[in-house]
Amino acid sequence: MKIFIKFILVWLVFLISFNSCNDKLELTNPSQSSPETFMETAAQVQAAVNAVYANLQTRGLYARHMFFSMDNMAHENAGNPQLESDKLQYLEFTFDASHGAIRAFWESCYRGINKANYVLGNEERINEIPDEQIPQATKDNYIGEVKFLRAYYYFLLVSRYGSVPLITSVPETGDGTPKSSVEEVYQQVISDLEDAAAGLFDKTDDGYENGRASKGAAYALLGKVHLYRGEYQEAKDAFENVLGEYSLVDDYRDNFLEETEHNDESIFEVEYQEDLGTADMWNSDASGEGLTEATFRGQEYGWNDWFNVYPSDDLLNEYEAGDPRYVDNFYSNGETFAGGTVSLPLSRVAGWKKYQNYYKEANENLYSSINFRIIRYADVLLMMAEIENEMDNPTEAINYLNMVRDRPSTSMPNYGTTEMDALYPVGTKGEIFDAIVHERKVELAGEQARFPDLVRWGMAADVLGQYGFVAGKHEVFPIPQNEINSNNALTNSDQNSGYN
Amino acid sequence: MKKKLQLIKKMTRYLFFGVLMQALFIGVLLAHEGDAQVNLEKNEVSMNLKEVYLNVNLKRATLVDLFGEIEKNTDFKFFYDKEILNSKSKYSFNGELSLYDLLLEISKESELHFKQVNKNINVKRIEKDFIPQLVLQESTVTGKVVSNENPDGLPGVNVVIKGTSQGTVTDIDGNYEINAPSRESILVFSSVGFVSEEVVVGDRSVINLTLQPDITSLEEIVVVGYGTQNRADVTGAISSIDGDKINSVPTANVSQALQGRASGVTVINNGSPGRAPTIRIRGLGTINNNEPLYVVDGVITSSIDGLNQNDIESIEVLKDASTTAVYGSKGSNGVILITTKSGKSGEVQVNVNAYAGSQWTTERFDLLNTDQYIQYATEAFGAPPRLTDPQYASLLQNDTDWQDAIFQSGVIQNYDVAVSGGGQNSRFRISAGYLSQDGVIIETGTERYNFRANSNFTVGKLKVGENLSLSIGKLRPELNNGGRSAIEHAIKMAPYLPIYEPGNLGGFRGPNSALDGQDAENPVRVLKLGNVENNLLNIVGNIYGEFEIVDGLTFKTQVGTEYTTFNYNSITPSYDDDVEGGTHQSDHAVIAKYNSKLQSVILTNSLNYRKTFADKHNLEILLLAESTSTEINNLNAQSWNFLTNSVEQVSNTNSNVTSTSSEYYRLGYLARINYNYDSKYLLGVSYRRDASSRFGKENRWGAFPSVAVGWRISEENFLVDNSFISNIKLRGSWGITGNDNIPEYRYSTGINSNFHYPIAGQDALGATISGLANPNLKWEETTMLNVGLDLGFLSDQITVTAEYYDNESDDLLMPRILPISSGFNDGTVIENVGSMKTKGFEFTLGYNDYEGDFKWSALLNMGTSKNETLDLGENEFIDGAGFENENISRTAVGHPAFQFYGWQFDGIFQTQEEVNNYAGGTQASNLNAEPGDFRIVDANGDGVINADDRTFIGNPFPKLTYGLNLTATYKGFDFDLFFNGLAGVDVYNTNIYDLEGMPRLFNSGVEVLDRWTGPGTSNTVPRAGGAPSNTQVSSRFVENGSFARLRNISIGYDLTSTINMLNGKVSKFRVYISAQNLFTITDYSGLDPEVGQYTGAQAGTPPTALGGVATNANGQPNVNFQTGIDLGNYPVPKSFVGGVQIQF
Repeated sequence: MKIFIKFILVWLVFLISFNSCNDKLELTNPSQSSPETFMETAAQVQAAVNAVYANLQTRGLYARHMFFSMDNMAHENAGNPQLESDKLQYLEFTFDASHGAIRAFWESCYRGINKANYVLGNEERINEIPDEQIPQATKDNYIGEVKFLRAYYYFLLVSRYGSVPLITSVPETGDGTPKSSVEEVYQQVISDLEDAAAGLFDKTDDGYENGRASKGAAYALLGKVHLYRGEYQEAKDAFENVLGEYSLVDDYRDNFLEETEHNDESIFEVEYQEDLGTADMWNSDASGEGLTEATFRGQEYGWNDWFNVYPSDDLLNEYEAGDPRYVDNFYSNGETFAGGTVSLPLSRVAGWKKYQNYYKEANENLYSSINFRIIRYADVLLMMAEIENEMDNPTEAINYLNMVRDRPSTSMPNYGTTEMDALYPVGTKGEIFDAIVHERKVELAGEQARFPDLVRWGMAADVLGQYGFVAGKHEVFPIPQNEINSNNALTNSDQNSGYN
Repeated sequence: MKKKLQLIKKMTRYLFFGVLMQALFIGVLLAHEGDAQVNLEKNEVSMNLKEVYLNVNLKRATLVDLFGEIEKNTDFKFFYDKEILNSKSKYSFNGELSLYDLLLEISKESELHFKQVNKNINVKRIEKDFIPQLVLQESTVTGKVVSNENPDGLPGVNVVIKGTSQGTVTDIDGNYEINAPSRESILVFSSVGFVSEEVVVGDRSVINLTLQPDITSLEEIVVVGYGTQNRADVTGAISSIDGDKINSVPTANVSQALQGRASGVTVINNGSPGRAPTIRIRGLGTINNNEPLYVVDGVITSSIDGLNQNDIESIEVLKDASTTAVYGSKGSNGVILITTKSGKSGEVQVNVNAYAGSQWTTERFDLLNTDQYIQYATEAFGAPPRLTDPQYASLLQNDTDWQDAIFQSGVIQNYDVAVSGGGQNSRFRISAGYLSQDGVIIETGTERYNFRANSNFTVGKLKVGENLSLSIGKLRPELNNGGRSAIEHAIKMAPYLPIYEPGNLGGFRGPNSALDGQDAENPVRVLKLGNVENNLLNIVGNIYGEFEIVDGLTFKTQVGTEYTTFNYNSITPSYDDDVEGGTHQSDHAVIAKYNSKLQSVILTNSLNYRKTFADKHNLEILLLAESTSTEINNLNAQSWNFLTNSVEQVSNTNSNVTSTSSEYYRLGYLARINYNYDSKYLLGVSYRRDASSRFGKENRWGAFPSVAVGWRISEENFLVDNSFISNIKLRGSWGITGNDNIPEYRYSTGINSNFHYPIAGQDALGATISGLANPNLKWEETTMLNVGLDLGFLSDQITVTAEYYDNESDDLLMPRILPISSGFNDGTVIENVGSMKTKGFEFTLGYNDYEGDFKWSALLNMGTSKNETLDLGENEFIDGAGFENENISRTAVGHPAFQFYGWQFDGIFQTQEEVNNYAGGTQASNLNAEPGDFRIVDANGDGVINADDRTFIGNPFPKLTYGLNLTATYKGFDFDLFFNGLAGVDVYNTNIYDLEGMPRLFNSGVEVLDRWTGPGTSNTVPRAGGAPSNTQVSSRFVENGSFARLRNISIGYDLTSTINMLNGKVSKFRVYISAQNLFTITDYSGLDPEVGQYTGAQAGTPPTALGGVATNANGQPNVNFQTGIDLGNYPVPKSFVGGVQIQF
């Protein structure tokens, strides 16, 4: 009995000695700030806005797969033997729902959207910050930037995947969201862009910084979205806000060089700047995390480098004889470059010059930081040509086409002249359309414009059928299998047609 | 912050205390040893019973208890007949006694006869009619009896004339003198612990004899969680591995030494020397972290990689709930308990072990040489300019063997010194070790220094002790680039390219994508130019005090601490492998440094009450409280240097610096009762409650009960006298264990501010919400059922253990993959969803033959495990393990976890007609199949070939693991043969993608020369550059990975007696040679069928932080998904070493 008492006594003593430790079970993460206390200062809001841009730089998008997927599917590229299988699948239209990069593309967009939703979900809190700390105009601009980016990510999604889940606030549970119709997604894109255009700084405003979305960018994208939807009047209305605000640069090449970024022709760019750091490039499939301030484009396309792809004969043959844009876009044998004289391997007749650094470097490396011009004024003019043509204003349409051809460095014969009538007559609406198709193909070669163009024009099956494009299927990517698997609101029956 | 300061202050205090104690103890020991030395000189007997003092406090103890007590506290071992065990006499002693006096006292009371033979004390009943007689008129035979252990003479051996009661005993030097009645008389030499010998006298007057030991130590002590148990009383599933076995194979890592040693324990090697292997106890218990819990001398530690094998006394693997539930919070993946060697009372003993040798690998892939490559490239892909342009003709004269360029034979060496000893109240052991191994791939290897001091002291009723170990390790891992292994690059490199090109920056030569039509990387440059070093400093120690409050009731308090720093230094200089272009180059050096520090403090207080009632009711109660606090700090820095390669320090150019820290706290209470009735009916019950800071407030506490029962049938009256059956024990256990192996703070979410975007030429910092919080996180629970049967025959000459287990894990802590569209940066949230079941059998068979000159023993162990995923919550399946942008592994409900998943191939289409007719031509329309492409089996039977025909094509986890150890001794020689293997296991061999995949041009295996080139040319190797499906995940890459391997063969010779002719001080001198992995029986076509996780490291990429587990993008441990995928994994080398073991 005595033992028993002692036993209990001692036990109690050391039970008590541990009791104080219970507090230690309450821990907070010392490495991250808490969402409850974030979005309270100008710097915090600014950072939350900046983060939304970062996903544009991922390997799923402009660091790698945006140009591979679009340029390959459009067959502006042909593949060299060493082209890796997943990129070859774009050329051959053999990708399926398990394709890693098609997932990364999707994921990059949605991660950008989530970051945007995080900011927008805190709109009230941002507006509560005193104007002395953040002027109202700046607050509006923040919201505008975020809405522009959300719209752009959704536009990429809806045009690449068709009907997709439409998520406009940060999810609070792990439950999935069903697909919304293409129409609903577009309505969101349009309303976001309209809001963005209202709130964003103009590129000439004091508060505007290069790299950010501007009012012009929002209108340009809005116009493009309406055009995709065949809403010509709305598209025109939007573009009216852009026309005259930008101008073509004299030298076509200036659209693809590092030193001439953010010039008068540039409306929105995806930024890369190697000297800020590239340490996480290989890790950033979708997250946008870390230092990923370069794109693989130079190295991947570079004829003196990996040379995984080269301009297809079909693209090269599209150029009219003497079109300076051929030389502006492609290297040919015997030409000079920063490393000496061009000698194309594998008996190719041309290698990409556009977005390559050979004008200043003998070799590309992994770290090209030439910004992608996502929308440039020439594109807007060509879209305007299309709109005017569709609205039965042939003169205006031809006029817009000729504006692009009149660029000093291009300076090609105008449509409507006898010289051009021999090649591309513009007597009928259909002929003008063909001229637009031609002009877009040569002006915007390798700028990820042609594949979406072919799809929206309904021409993809005709042009690309020979390579494996199946109408009713390849207009869009498959919904990534991982999305269907992880999203409890989706089943395999939600897969895009032809991919099941 | 304040909290952290306090913790640091506390830590500093503990550390100071530890160092102080250590310093004090060593001082005491040294002083004491001075005295011991004096005693030794006086007494030539190495262990004089009169010199050994014991503080005994026993009341009504049985003989067995008494002997156990003595064995525990001294170096002596008792050997006795079984009948003595049955003695019901009880003895009580109190106070400090010499062992001599103690045994004398027992002898008087019990009519027992004690004989000391060196460290052995042989016990025998005094036979009533045994009266030594001297018959003078008969002839006198004299001689000396020795044993291998005691070449100087074996005292106390009974020498009896057979058939009479005449006899004598040998004296202290082993000499005897006896009168033999006739030439036909037979002398019987017997001594407990030795095999009896009979010798006919004949004409001889001098008969010398060497007795062979009969090693049947009846009392095997097994270490269990928070205590020890007699093997006979164990009711759970425990595998014990002796330190000797751990030492018998030279490995860089303790866990590698466990391979094949215990049933149900799967150890698969993972890479370059020093890389920890993957250990799984009883298969997979969870989709989450499957790492077992490591406990070294009672301290839970984060890893055992730093341990020196030679310091290990024993390893116990706890496998069932009754043994692991006492660790509650962490027991569900099994527990590996390691006990390090401690000092024994008596003479100071010095042990020196040294071995050195070499390791190498002879396996090679059969690759194309330059001529074959040119032919293949030209035919299959069209010759790139390099092969056609005459200016490169001289380059094509080269024929580089890229495999020889990356493989080497490496030196391995290991040196250990240990000094141990002690007096009546203190014991110590200190040791130091050095190990170095060069890998078989150039620039890889490991090096380690170890220091350890264990000591303990008795002051009256108080026992205090400490264990302190320090290890300094350096690991040079295999380097890769872009996740492609050195072996993959060696396969792919064009053979005409030279390794070196002195004119190039860095001095290496690589292909030019355009000219060579390929882009493999020079693996020698990858391995040599980068320099990566993982440095690990690991201090683990504990201090404990044990006080006996009253008889049988002991209070023990222990402070354990682990302090580990991990230091990663990496530099990749600028280089240019391609002067003709820019295929592999960097214009800057990349310097990366990562520092990680883990410190944890474990406080354990316990009360233990042990008592025997009414002779037969043996009761032990343990009450315990334990707290663990761990803090981890990481600092990562990386920068580029465009100016020079010679500065290996981080600077401010293109730099990236981050730091993180985390804390983890656990609190637990345990109650355990072990009861047995007469060691016949056994019962153990335990209950632990644990709280973990990793869970939200509401779910923090978990309860982990266990029950175990045992019945020693052989102790029943009807069997106790059976001479054939020596042991039958039936046992069973049930219990629940827990798992909180997830990262910290997952119940909440934070702000991630690691986003960057250039705005107006500046780095604009970005921040966003990290992920989705789950405040409802709670314990993952595993319910374990175990049934075991132990059998022993012929005095345990043959032993059999069979076990069946059935484990089910519920509320699996799984990273649930959030819908990708939810867009969170952390794409997963950890939830308690899903369950998994694993069951299997284990079987151990032992045989010991201790008779005669040639003695041998065999130990066979095998374990099976069968896993089934029962539920994955919202997920129907989870994919992982990327290769060439596809996932290889899938975990799906209704299937075992982590299976290979892809298409099943069935030969190659030979003609267009076959393509058109197969599945309605759907493989052609969906997947561009043409003649020369693989035919995909219509796995779902819908008549259409497409992505949905993917199916389960292989299992990377073995159905059966086994080990067989054969040992033998013959006179001074000893032999050891050790096999281990896996059966029913598949390997996904991505090397085939490189060797015969032909998706595009790179060097390949010779198989591509026999590729499909037209109808009937091949049904196994497709056309070059065929349909993408040919190289996507499929059965083409799945091979049977079963193997049986001669893990070790060794032969040793005991030179002690020879050496002693020169110097009598040496008590052991053994030399040996051994070879490892000499041959492997397997059908696997790769370099090595033992395929764990690929562990190649990319320079500059942060390694997994301390206490962390490398996870994939979905937050699941990589190792689960990657196991069994051969990405050109580091092959297990063959090795040959020679060594010496000296004790004096």
